[in-house]
Amino acid sequence: MIQKHWWKALGVVILIYSFTAGMLVPLKPGIVEVAPQSAATGTTVEFKVTGYNSHYKEAEDSLRAWLKMDNEHALGADKINVLDDQHLRVTFSIPEYLPNKDRVKDFSLLLDNTVDGASVLPSAVFVTQDSIDPAMGQAAWVNSPIANLSSKDAMNFPFRNILAEGIRNTYYHVPLWFAMILIFLGSVVYSIRYLRTYDPMYDHRAQALNTAGLLFGILGLVTGSIWAKFTWGAYWNWDVKQNMTAIALLIYLAYFILRNSFEDDEQKARISSVYNLFAFAALIPLIYVIPRLTDSLHPGAGGNPAMGGEDLDNTMRMVFYPAIIGWTLIGLWIANLFYRTKQLEHRLLDL
Amino acid sequence: MQLAKEIWFLLRKEVKLELRMNYAISGILLYLFSTIFIVYSAFRTVKPEAWNALFWIIVLFTSVSAIVKSFVQENGGRQLYFYSIVNPTAMILSKIIYNILLLFLLSLLTWLGFVFIGGNPIRDAGQFILALFLGSVGFSITFTFISAIAVKANNSSTLLAVLSFPLVIPILLTLIKLTANALRILNDTGIQRDVLILIAIDMLLLSMTFILYPFLWRD
Repeated sequence: MIQKHWWKALGVVILIYSFTAGMLVPLKPGIVEVAPQSAATGTTVEFKVTGYNSHYKEAEDSLRAWLKMDNEHALGADKINVLDDQHLRVTFSIPEYLPNKDRVKDFSLLLDNTVDGASVLPSAVFVTQDSIDPAMGQAAWVNSPIANLSSKDAMNFPFRNILAEGIRNTYYHVPLWFAMILIFLGSVVYSIRYLRTYDPMYDHRAQALNTAGLLFGILGLVTGSIWAKFTWGAYWNWDVKQNMTAIALLIYLAYFILRNSFEDDEQKARISSVYNLFAFAALIPLIYVIPRLTDSLHPGAGGNPAMGGEDLDNTMRMVFYPAIIGWTLIGLWIANLFYRTKQLEHRLLDL
Repeated sequence: MQLAKEIWFLLRKEVKLELRMNYAISGILLYLFSTIFIVYSAFRTVKPEAWNALFWIIVLFTSVSAIVKSFVQENGGRQLYFYSIVNPTAMILSKIIYNILLLFLLSLLTWLGFVFIGGNPIRDAGQFILALFLGSVGFSITFTFISAIAVKANNSSTLLAVLSFPLVIPILLTLIKLTANALRILNDTGIQRDVLILIAIDMLLLSMTFILYPFLWRD
């Protein structure tokens, strides 16, 4: 019993782990908003900063803030007032000139304290200069180098501005696609075995796997649409990956239509195995080649990094990779159940 | 060389049959010109963006109706006869080559029809003809193989559309992009990449066809 079914238990345990860890581990402290978002040179501006998961009250003494232009140019804060744990008032006096040639330049806001560690909001403030003179800018610029940032070791997921808590969907949306491809691959293996042996059992397994794969595909599309609604603003954004996966699902739906249009079982099995192999081959350019060559909102296209950098750090990997294994095992279990009902149906009809 | 001989023989057979039963090809041509006529009577003037979409939709549907008969016409007895004398690769390859030529001709005629009725918006004819050729190759491979599958089932013409449309969408999208470039709606210097994608997809589908067709045709 245990020897035969251990993988189902393993799948369940891994999924429970990925759900609990994925939902409960807090995000790193981050910055949600800075107001006002623009400023002019030669003025002293008080910015209102809203933090996320931050402990400004507790860290009042060690708080430091910078407006960062690039690695060489950063401006330290004159004064920091803590309102509460999530709100700060930071005052900067911006020099008369900027050390660059652009009329408008974006600055990142960098906060550091010993309790939360460092957090950053990219392109937080846009500074406009009326007269442009890089040489004057270099002279007027009071540079306060960023040094001795505190780092905090804790089990945290990264805080990404557009995603915020939505980053947790990485453990549900992405592994579903990985699991779907693995399950379709399993179905391809069974179709090949069917065509070599003509044993109907293999065809039934291939069909069961395709059903489970299609189910995961639909779930992947749904979780993705919900995610897209919160990060990109609409359920369907005509993004290349969304379009291509919708087509991929159509290809696999056609597989089931094809199966239903045969009466002879042997012919049904043989022809749908052939179509299954052809469909999988057509799926590869659809999912892996074309989206990589065109611009996409998804990471991993149009020059965005995928599965790396700040999008997937080591803490996330500890949940993400097991989740792929967990979903694949559950998918295999679902396919196994489909296969067994199919076998029972057959036995009933034969009687 | 046996294979080349067989392909040549089967190809000649296809052309002869087509010319003998000329109602099929004339039917397709009539279908083509009436669609173009209807489109232009409805639109009067067609903007390049709409031209691009309409052109490929008409080519797509004409291709499906031209290819659907490629296996349907082989009735049981003739199928058995071919099964005993030729090799399956020669059979499918001759059909694919024949359909490439047919579709290329049909798409050129579609273009001619569009030009005759509404003028020619194409700025780069060489690039457009290249797109037409690559499109004919991709459509021909997919539709021929799928019609070999669909003919085994009961409702073959519906099934052909259902099975093959999702499979040709990547080819179609790349073709529309290439044509947009030939129409100068879009200025892309990297069209070699799109051409390479098309060739790669065609090669992938062609090799799958070679491997899988022998399993399909024995009944």
